[in-house]
Amino acid sequence: MSYLELNAVFLGIAAAAALAALVLRWAGRGSLRRAGAAMASTLAVLLVLTAVFDNAMIAAGLFDYSGHALSGARVGLAPLEDFAYPLGAALLLPALWMLLAVRGKGGD
Amino acid sequence: MTYLLVLLALLGCMALLDARWKLFFWARPWAAAVVMAAGMAYFLAWDVRAIAEGIFLHRDSPLMTGIMLGPQLPLEEAFFLAFLCYQAMILFTGTLALLRRRSATRSVARSVARPAPARAPEPSRTAEPAGTEDSA
Repeated sequence: MSYLELNAVFLGIAAAAALAALVLRWAGRGSLRRAGAAMASTLAVLLVLTAVFDNAMIAAGLFDYSGHALSGARVGLAPLEDFAYPLGAALLLPALWMLLAVRGKGGD
Repeated sequence: MTYLLVLLALLGCMALLDARWKLFFWARPWAAAVVMAAGMAYFLAWDVRAIAEGIFLHRDSPLMTGIMLGPQLPLEEAFFLAFLCYQAMILFTGTLALLRRRSATRSVARSVARPAPARAPEPSRTAEPAGTEDSA
């Protein structure tokens, strides 16, 4: 399995959770626009930080990748596939947080 | 050791932001614990699969403790994933709080600019810049 295929599996889980959370929030008349904007800005910041620090950490020799599993696309030293982690984080975690709020007090 | 200390310091910074603005653990501790646990499980499973597929390779480095949680999985990775999760949630809850506060102050400003006639029928005292910002 390539790194890209593996990412597709895990991003699918995160995307499903995000969809469920946004649909429930919309049904519950929470501020959908605000939640979407907060997720988008979280993602933007995480992507920029990943671009900077993934490069720094690879350059520092903390870890490496076996070339055969990579697509070859890179942002500096960072394989493009590494950006799936911040994407998964920005989708899954806020989604769980909102889903737990729906079941709880129904807070914003 | 350096890398681990940096991660611990960053986690500490997130906790300070969390405590100061009551964003995550300081807002809903149980929900926060569930989100963090689920996030850790999710990303560790992702890592373990990637290692099993031979994608991730650990490199021995003087910056690391050398303590391994599993093959190719250093102790530092768990702290990195915790930081990734905590940071994502501080960004998300922080942005939400900011947007919420901004829309609250905007609606206050609007009700000051155009007072509800039923509640405040006072004669206009001074020339108030009514509706300067809104184009509606």
